[in-house]
Amino acid sequence: MSATAEQIDADAEAAARRRATFRRYTRHPGFMIGAIGIALLVLVALLAPWIAPHSPTRTDLMNNLAPPSATFWLGTDQFGRCVASRLIHGAQVSLQVGFFVVLISLSLGTVIGAVAGYAGGWVERALVAVIDILLAFPSFLLALALVAARGNTLDSIILAVAIAYTPRIAAVMRSVVLTIRPRPFIEASRAIGLTPWKIVLRHVIPNALPPVIVVATVSAATAILAEAGLSFLGLGVQPPTPTWGNVIAEGQTSITSNPLISLSAGLCIAYTVVVLNLLGDGLRDTLDPQMRRNTGKLL
Amino acid sequence: MTAAFELRGLTAAVPGEKGAVRLVEDVSLSVRAGETLAVVGESGSGKTVTFTSALGLLPKPGRVIAGQALLEGEDLLALPPEQLRRRRGARIGMVFQDPLTGLNPVFTVGEQIAEVLRAHLPISRREARDRAAALLGRVQIPDAARRVDDYPHQFSGGMRQRVLIAMAIALGPRVLIADEPTTALDVTVQAQVLDLLGDLRASEGMGMVLITHDLGVVARQADRVAVMYAGRVVETGTVEEVFRAPRHPYTISLFRSIPEIDAPAGTMLAPIAGSPPDPARRPPGCAFAPRCFAVSDAHGCRSVRPDLIGAGHFAACHRQGAIEVAA
Amino acid sequence: MLFHVARCVGQLAVALVGIVTVAFFLMRAIPGDPALYMLGDFATVEALATLRARLGLDLPVWQQYFVFLFRAVQGDLGTSVVTGQPALTEIWAAVPPSAALAVSGMLVAVVIGVPLGVVAAVRQGSAVDVAVMLVALGGISFPVFWVGLVAILTFSHALGLFPALGASSDAGFWTALHHMVLPAMVLGLSVSAYIARLTRSAMLEVLGVDHIRVARAMGVPERRIVWKLAFRNALIPVLAVIGVTFAWSLGNAILVEAVFSRPGLGSTILKAILARDYQLVQAGVLVLAAAVVLLNTALDLLYGAIDPRLRRS
Repeated sequence: MSATAEQIDADAEAAARRRATFRRYTRHPGFMIGAIGIALLVLVALLAPWIAPHSPTRTDLMNNLAPPSATFWLGTDQFGRCVASRLIHGAQVSLQVGFFVVLISLSLGTVIGAVAGYAGGWVERALVAVIDILLAFPSFLLALALVAARGNTLDSIILAVAIAYTPRIAAVMRSVVLTIRPRPFIEASRAIGLTPWKIVLRHVIPNALPPVIVVATVSAATAILAEAGLSFLGLGVQPPTPTWGNVIAEGQTSITSNPLISLSAGLCIAYTVVVLNLLGDGLRDTLDPQMRRNTGKLL
Repeated sequence: MTAAFELRGLTAAVPGEKGAVRLVEDVSLSVRAGETLAVVGESGSGKTVTFTSALGLLPKPGRVIAGQALLEGEDLLALPPEQLRRRRGARIGMVFQDPLTGLNPVFTVGEQIAEVLRAHLPISRREARDRAAALLGRVQIPDAARRVDDYPHQFSGGMRQRVLIAMAIALGPRVLIADEPTTALDVTVQAQVLDLLGDLRASEGMGMVLITHDLGVVARQADRVAVMYAGRVVETGTVEEVFRAPRHPYTISLFRSIPEIDAPAGTMLAPIAGSPPDPARRPPGCAFAPRCFAVSDAHGCRSVRPDLIGAGHFAACHRQGAIEVAA
Repeated sequence: MLFHVARCVGQLAVALVGIVTVAFFLMRAIPGDPALYMLGDFATVEALATLRARLGLDLPVWQQYFVFLFRAVQGDLGTSVVTGQPALTEIWAAVPPSAALAVSGMLVAVVIGVPLGVVAAVRQGSAVDVAVMLVALGGISFPVFWVGLVAILTFSHALGLFPALGASSDAGFWTALHHMVLPAMVLGLSVSAYIARLTRSAMLEVLGVDHIRVARAMGVPERRIVWKLAFRNALIPVLAVIGVTFAWSLGNAILVEAVFSRPGLGSTILKAILARDYQLVQAGVLVLAAAVVLLNTALDLLYGAIDPRLRRS
């Protein structure tokens, strides 16, 4: 009888905790703006073929550099293509880059960082040395060189950017793991004879994830900026594929007469990066128990 | 004789989900010049918050919502910030619990003491440094003239606490608040630091507030004692009165929970069951009622908040006088 | 202190060998036969073999690596496949305008970012804090080349205050400076956003620690607490941020140079990439990474001067 009562209490408490967590997220304005902003963007990218008023690649040289109108919301570029449609389709490239770069660099970086942080000894020293050396190379330059090496298809751009930004995630992961390593449950897992790999996979990585998720969100933003930079330099996904960086670069030729082309594409990039950063900041504030601990510290 | 330092009805709160959460409530205490008042209680009972609030140092979003903190008759909490700053460190000093984190690692101890001196006195850098060296000597740091240029990490824990004490007494304050000054130190060093504080109090004629949870320290060092529980003072009186005849069940339980050297073998220690209430969810009556061995509904323990009553020796308990004292 | 200096110098040597190693293997990943590229499609097999032998491309990779490392230590980073000039000479010629841009960009970033971060931390939660953080968010969110375009549109085309393109380093110091203002501001603003954000969080952390509470309890004025006591503690994380953002700002500098059509490492490396000029790209990447490593060594030495605990073993 009392056991059931306790069970009910425990359930109620867990539910209350879940509600409190949910509230913490919904009450964080930055987090909400970021989450809704990203959701909107994903929707636009997925529905691009239906939302876009025109084909992003159909040229119409009779109607080039047209000012904004009801049919061409943001006018047309020097080949007469609908700028708005190109921007809407460009969201697909940017989001793919952001998503896959994070997927790849997060998987690689998390494992490398976790091993480096947990292993100790010469393994740690060697990995840290390699990470440090890689960090000395400006990531954008590294991505640039790798793209040059592997050609500028979307796949190779994603891979290049992912490899270039992996060392940073590995470094963050390691520093987080260093704070987890001395905690009692790691000691306990070792005491009951779990193998190092199992400890890393089951205990170290899950406990280190919150800060890494924050870094991942911000990395997605950085990756999108890097891809735009590559496109701008002509080393990104090749025209006529619409990417925001391409639109800016192509708009540059007519920037004094039709500044709207480049400006609007830049705003698209900035919008994406802002919502990702807001989401990252929001996640950091809400995942970080520090804020809750602070109130306890007063007593 | 007026008190050197007196708190009247001090209440401090932080904003909570359902209105203000009172961390300390209606705390009244006083200490006379040359006297030591010990403030005891479990961690979380509001000892530290009481005094950081009184000095206007409660971290945001904490706030004092009522009461006065009178330093030689002048209410610190009514002063404008700049005036309050000039009193802090100069006329009322404070020593904190952890000497390891209390000193700035990137400045020499001499620079840090000089910083305090120069915050209050129009003296040159050089003069401040000389005075800092003299102060290190006053707190019995060997070879003070040379060590004034050392960095904190070159000192042991006990020596760092001496440096912090030197900072606190640098301007000859009338009142010194020592917040668990020895908790973080080795047992052998604890006595030395406490003796030093006692000597300084006597030679300077300071009023001293000694925050501690060590009843042995209270017995040795203090003249009067105030027991705090859940943000309130629940018992106060001279050390002799309170130790000989504790009135509040919480005080009685505190005495029962410490081992005595001369207790007969086999005597059971009685730890206090349960834990202090969350400040946001204190019970409506006496905050100690859920853990009290003498709790009685007939006396309103669970519904009416008890007032501090008595003469000289006060306690806040509905059942005082009726409890068998077995301390 | 001497020990600290020795350790920093030792780490510098290891790091330099490290970047040479990474640069070597990275460039080997680029497909294409430089010998074929140099001689063109109609080259004879013998000519190709001769050239490969001259470039050392016929040796096993590990031997190539040691030859490369040995030469790199002596300052020989190979010859440009396109011009036949020593690669380091070509790169070195492009360094001054880039270094000037990077340094002035970093100056702008520090001068703007650090004070803003400190003020935001001190007034945490206030309107000032929110405003600074919003501006900083904008600063890291807008692509630097786009900010450059907007700056050109506004300050060159609309207002006519600064020249839009080029560097004009041979037309005297003041002309060069006039050309530098916009690029340096654009580069500096994007970096200052990061510096402001991280300075803020470093200061927030320091302002919450015990010794700051002690200083407050001792009546030390808030101004002294913030700018002297707390700031020196926050200085190491702030300098560390400058070290990290330096690598990042060199990447941005390539884009800024492209937007403003400035000569420098950016255009040299870009041209080399398009021409598949192995040796030149390699030398360019190496020089930039070496700059980052050197700056970080300088910062490490500074940490020792700031934090006495780092001076001992």
